[in-house]
Amino acid sequence: MPTKTKEINEKNNKKTNKVATTKTTVKPKTSSKGTAKKKDTAKKAVAKKAEKKVTAKKTTVKKTTTTAKKATVKKASTKKVTARKSTAKKAATTRKATGKTKKQEQFVDIVEYYDLPYRYNETVVKILYQTPNTLFVYWDISDKDRENYIKQYGENFFNITRPVLIIHNITMNYSFEVPIDDFANSWYLHINDSKCDYKVELGRRPNYYNEEATKEIQENINTDYIYVSSSNEIETPNDHVLFSTNENNTIKFRNIKNNDEKTISLVDFVRSLPALKEKRDIPIISEEIFQAVYSGIYKDEDINFFERLSNPSSGGLATSNMSSSRSALF
Amino acid sequence: MQKKGYVSFVLHAHLPFIHHPESDDYLEESWLYEAISETYIPLLKVFKSLVDEGVNFRITMSMTPPLLSMLDNELLHKKYIHYLEQLIELSEKEIKRTAYDKKLNELAHYYYDRYSSDLHLFRDVFKCNLIEQFKHFQDIGVLEIITCGATHGYFPILYVTEETVRAQIAVGVQTYEKYFGRKPRGIWLPECGYVPEADKYLKEFGIDYAIVESHGILYADPTPIYGTCAPIVSPGGLVCFGRDMKSSQQVWSSIDGYPGDFNYREFYRDIGYEADYDYIKPYIAHNGVRVHTGIKYYRITGKTDQKDYYNVQWAHDSAERQAGHFLDSRTEQIKNVADYMKVPPIILCPYDAELYGHWWYEGPYWLYILFKKIYYDDCNFELITPSEYIDKYPNIQVASPCRSSWGANGYSGVWLNPTNDYAHRHLHKAGDRMVELATSYPNAEGTIKDALNQAARELLLAQSSDWLFIITNGTMVDYAKKRIKEHIGRFTKLYYQIKSNKIDKAFLKNIQLKDCVFPEIDYHIYKKL
Repeated sequence: MPTKTKEINEKNNKKTNKVATTKTTVKPKTSSKGTAKKKDTAKKAVAKKAEKKVTAKKTTVKKTTTTAKKATVKKASTKKVTARKSTAKKAATTRKATGKTKKQEQFVDIVEYYDLPYRYNETVVKILYQTPNTLFVYWDISDKDRENYIKQYGENFFNITRPVLIIHNITMNYSFEVPIDDFANSWYLHINDSKCDYKVELGRRPNYYNEEATKEIQENINTDYIYVSSSNEIETPNDHVLFSTNENNTIKFRNIKNNDEKTISLVDFVRSLPALKEKRDIPIISEEIFQAVYSGIYKDEDINFFERLSNPSSGGLATSNMSSSRSALF
Repeated sequence: MQKKGYVSFVLHAHLPFIHHPESDDYLEESWLYEAISETYIPLLKVFKSLVDEGVNFRITMSMTPPLLSMLDNELLHKKYIHYLEQLIELSEKEIKRTAYDKKLNELAHYYYDRYSSDLHLFRDVFKCNLIEQFKHFQDIGVLEIITCGATHGYFPILYVTEETVRAQIAVGVQTYEKYFGRKPRGIWLPECGYVPEADKYLKEFGIDYAIVESHGILYADPTPIYGTCAPIVSPGGLVCFGRDMKSSQQVWSSIDGYPGDFNYREFYRDIGYEADYDYIKPYIAHNGVRVHTGIKYYRITGKTDQKDYYNVQWAHDSAERQAGHFLDSRTEQIKNVADYMKVPPIILCPYDAELYGHWWYEGPYWLYILFKKIYYDDCNFELITPSEYIDKYPNIQVASPCRSSWGANGYSGVWLNPTNDYAHRHLHKAGDRMVELATSYPNAEGTIKDALNQAARELLLAQSSDWLFIITNGTMVDYAKKRIKEHIGRFTKLYYQIKSNKIDKAFLKNIQLKDCVFPEIDYHIYKKL
């Protein structure tokens, strides 16, 4: 099996959260860098050895105390989801300890042990949207690129510069910058404008933290900004009813059987709706036309509901596995 | 009453792929058994009764590929039968134990009958083949089954490598064809996660329509004139139906949702937690931890800890009353909405299938009564499937749906937040590597081909949105984290073995047995676009 010295094991990586410092940042996540390098090879060797042995059982059994468990169960009659959930969780993870002999005759298991690699040693910046106003970004700089920077700017390059993220709103053509730190490898970024294309750039700026650093920056770096890498480009979701039309205040219909398209003026269309046929004072501004129709269709809904739409099954339970249905009503 | 519109029920049946031939000790496997007994068999019974009684109805269900794979797995059939035998044995003991109390004893008999009937149906009548049963109702035209992403991978996270979204769709469609002998017309986007980038792949594999969350329609561009009461078609040609908010609320709401009725069965009072420990020990977790058994004797009763015994008749009375309420509400809604439309409105009511029966024990009965009422009572709407609707009313407004999901707050926060965001770079990297492998091995044969196909399975399994959800939700977290680690770990190991042409055959064989989902998978689906 090839050794993966470059993929450093996550194990020794301690995560600590830092508090956001600027208005634009949300929750930075931090992690240490470059420590646990050798671990992976060692572990792989062990794993390989273990595979050969064809022993049957994994040994990572979680310890849980039945007494603690019973205490939670006592509460079972009060409708507290939290208490019950923890119960279920423990049950699931503890069932491993006993009854291990039976299956071995039919299924010969091998021992597997995995940890997620701490990094992939590649220069990468990737973004995803979390909400219409929050981007998630993660990044890494490969060892090779790091060496190149050091070759070019001197041994202290990473000490006398600090990382920054530059957020480009491509749709509205503006950018802003968020200082980050070298202990982080991902970040949440607050953005003001929904439904826009974004791209995030990772770069470094000189860090004049003392005289010595200043001197070194002047000697070796001699620039205000060093570009590192750019992310993928994404569009963030929309977050409100647009009350928008096609060109010239029209709406377009397509016959999906033959793909014929028909464009109709919004005003004419709305005037022919049964509920509005007799009405004299139909507005002409498209936003108001839509509002007239929506306030009819959604007559019982709170008029502001378009602005704070949330689904009734929300609260972290709107997916489909059993536990979601379980928590759906609490 | 003149028919003015339609109501469309869509039940999303999904469970993540959980299959552990290496051990009997994974409690997570019982999600499947509970869902079969409490949701899938009861729904099949409802469909059959309606058909037998000559009630014309329509319902749509998504059955996800991992669920289909598990329903088609012999080992899981055996384990389910064992699960039922245990419950029958326990309810027999319960009949003896509760002889002192007439009401309680009746309930013990009720469970004995119910689980015995499940066993008979599953083993002797259905021959362990539930898929065939659902297929039957699709074939006679009352049920429309739609597909889903291969392993319920959440598109708004995966789409940074579009090939991985395409593969989720392709394998979803292929699995559907394998079991139902035709192509699916619709898809339940995993978690209703809509991204416009997926449209072209959905169209490529013949998908006509998808289900999206309400604001997927309401926040579309340009604004849909009928709101969620009619579908829209994306510029790329995907028809999208949006969830109706009002009907969702009536069922889901924590304040006044139907399932909270005081006569309904109390989910949390289970003899697994309440019976004498030595007595119940053989029927709970192997290590002695108390868990749900499925035998529950109490009704919700009220906001009190003093629960009354469950009364099947009272529960049915409540279900009937609520079915009437739902019918009246939709009639009223459609009467109002129809005046603002040139086509008949369609009120789309999507739910987790497992809500019906598993969580809301009386849910299947409620559906049964509701469908009968819609057929026999004087109401202004009919049931319809989305396919039938677009065939009848093919003129659809063109608009780009909004990126959205049905998770809390409507976007990606459930599947991307500080509790689970460590996983995403691994999912992305594995996706990129799979594309790299498929592109650089266009004609693999033999063991390399097997390894490439297994790598595709491992990637797909890692991508299940369920693991991220469970981590966020705080239940079964260790199991979910373990699954991500294992599938990424197995994938990565295979990746290096393939690249160095040194496949460890024993390892490959082993994980082929464990992660045996999608036996026909073809890794070429990941070839670079």
